Amino acid sequence: MANLNIKSKQERTFEAIVIGSGISGGWAAKELCDKGVKTLVLERGKDVQHIKDYPTTNLLPFEFDHRGQMPLNDQKENPIANRCYAYREDAAHFFVKDKEHPYVQDSPFDWIRGYQVGGKSLLWARQVQRISDLDFEGPARDGFAVDWPIRYKDLAPWYSHVEKFAGISGNKDGLPELPDGEFLPAYDLNIVEKYFKEQLKKNYGNDRHMIVARCAHISGNAERFQEQGRAQCQNRNLCQRGCPFGGYFSSNSSTLPWAARTGNLTMRPDAVVHSIIYDEEKGKATGVKIIDAHTQEMEEFYAEVIFVNAAALNTNLILLNSTSGRFPDGLGNDNGLMGKYVAFHNYRAGITADYEGHLDYTTTGGRPTTGYFPRFRNLYKQETDFLRGYAAGFTANRQPYSDQRGIGAALKESLLNPDQYGPWRIGSHMMGETIPKESSYVALDTKEKDKWGMPLLRIKMDYDENDEKMIHDYHEQMTEMFEKAGFKNIKTRDDHRAPGLDIHEMGGVRMGHDPKTSLLNKHNQLHAVKNVYVTDGACMTSTATQNPSLTYMALAARAVDHAVKDRKMS
Amino acid sequence: MNRREALRNLAIITGGIILVPSCNFSQEEVLVAYDNLSIKPSQAELLASIADTIIPATDTKGAADISVQDFILVMVNDCMEQDAQETFTQGLNDFESFSKNAGGKAFLKQERGTRERVITQGMSLEDEDNLHISEFLQITKRMTIQGFMASEYMMTEVRPYSLIPGTYNGEVLISNIDKESING
Repeated sequence: MANLNIKSKQERTFEAIVIGSGISGGWAAKELCDKGVKTLVLERGKDVQHIKDYPTTNLLPFEFDHRGQMPLNDQKENPIANRCYAYREDAAHFFVKDKEHPYVQDSPFDWIRGYQVGGKSLLWARQVQRISDLDFEGPARDGFAVDWPIRYKDLAPWYSHVEKFAGISGNKDGLPELPDGEFLPAYDLNIVEKYFKEQLKKNYGNDRHMIVARCAHISGNAERFQEQGRAQCQNRNLCQRGCPFGGYFSSNSSTLPWAARTGNLTMRPDAVVHSIIYDEEKGKATGVKIIDAHTQEMEEFYAEVIFVNAAALNTNLILLNSTSGRFPDGLGNDNGLMGKYVAFHNYRAGITADYEGHLDYTTTGGRPTTGYFPRFRNLYKQETDFLRGYAAGFTANRQPYSDQRGIGAALKESLLNPDQYGPWRIGSHMMGETIPKESSYVALDTKEKDKWGMPLLRIKMDYDENDEKMIHDYHEQMTEMFEKAGFKNIKTRDDHRAPGLDIHEMGGVRMGHDPKTSLLNKHNQLHAVKNVYVTDGACMTSTATQNPSLTYMALAARAVDHAVKDRKMS
Repeated sequence: MNRREALRNLAIITGGIILVPSCNFSQEEVLVAYDNLSIKPSQAELLASIADTIIPATDTKGAADISVQDFILVMVNDCMEQDAQETFTQGLNDFESFSKNAGGKAFLKQERGTRERVITQGMSLEDEDNLHISEFLQITKRMTIQGFMASEYMMTEVRPYSLIPGTYNGEVLISNIDKESING
């Protein structure tokens, strides 16, 4: 990779700049480099090289001072990060610490961030479900947000394109609400999950389904991935440490090293993007202004096309901070809607139960995925007193444990020979669509700045009546399905978590047909600045219920294709 | 270098026991490794003995053989709220006098059977004056189990832990399970 100790404008000029190296930025970079475009990737965090920079990846449990638990002083210093399930002793070094990167909560919002090369693609939960037309048509059908300017057929080939490269495990389930893709062999549901699936069929016919979730793991046909230097997933379930096998997809293991091998990639870590430079005479963006994370020096880089993939809310921040005479309120923000209509996924609700059947059985080995309920509410028409619906996770577990009563030799003998099983433990969590609203926003604070001089982001998005009704329905419907399946000891929960812990924040720079009501067109170009593309979560018009990363990847690849064709024609 | 590394290095240099420099030689010094607690070497020794009574050496090593008390003190020092730390240290402080009453002599001089009886009795204390002793023992038991089961000794020599747990099988007859492979 190029040495960046450079001064001349020519040396700071590329054909394309990608802001952000996470899951969507990595894809933009890979596609650009594959198409012969000299590309600079700007990453605000430190470099993280595949394998070499995974310091905990092969540590054994006893090698962690607190066996994985975060010490109390860290919990007190970083209450937000500590609320994330993956912020543990083995992966804490990949998370943003609260104090280092402050923001303003106009309503409670737990903003989970990963500032490093690869971003949160190192840490993600690797669930990848396609969005269907039942989702793309949602806003138009139900009268919220604006109509998506694309439909499933526009994105389907790009879903296929990214799935083949990333490696996606799954079954062809034949469900219109969750289109099939290019799948590697599926992981198995266990005996009780299969039982529940049959019970759903028996009790609800073809209306409700539980499948094994599609996940970004190389579950077979591993020879296809040798070229990327990746191998089959070993079911370690230690993914958040970074995988030495490249068993799951991340920018670090896949797209970035691939892009580097083309010779067209220049990586610039520790580059905090200040703004995008807009040239009023040319009527287009000409480059990106950065602040060196360590020296605080400002530097400019130039390119013909710019991809903004800084992660949903930071993409909003950069664009809002990119002001000029032509765009005093943020780049491409003629209608004043930039930063508005942000939304998230509602993960507040869950349910647990016991099952006393199949008691002769248990499970062995590891599996990097779970069961998954695609959305079944309001699929084809409005049926409930709330809009849209929810997907849900589903698992059945049975692990042996020890009788831990007493002390002495008998206790030790019991600990060494766990033979107590108990019932199967059943669990599910809700993943609800939320409605983007004008009152939900991110905005720049007019006074407070961070240590790089960037305005702090103010965040406001909260649950509304629709979300509360949906939680109620999830509890009610899951309880009914569990009861019909003969599950006992059913307990619903609402953990009242703040938005943000879903790590599915979206919107603010939404796609749409009309420049008056949206920021991006159907190719993810800013309506008003066509050489700037936004293909991360910021572009989402509505949230659907599916884990969204796969859609960002597909949109990024599709947008690069457009950018390169567009450039050749002009 | 973080505190933990610094202490490890110090422990290597000093042969394991680290004392706070002080001009008062009449009193035992506290172990600086546990900066949120005030633990003397003799108390760490007592804790080791309690842990070793909870998980004794049999045909395999016991808790004291692998210094589980160090893990317990690290966890109490680093991961517990201040009020729980105080309960723990007060319980540890008062355990010896409780033990003398209940077992007739100093805990370290008791036979194993007496120690087991004393700890079992201590764990069931419910009166307000002695509740901290019971809570101290419950914490110690929980941490002894955690520290012992997730120790290098257990996870490499007794029940080897594998980072690679093998292919998922979602339909295994329990009667066919190999009981030796408890660490997945």
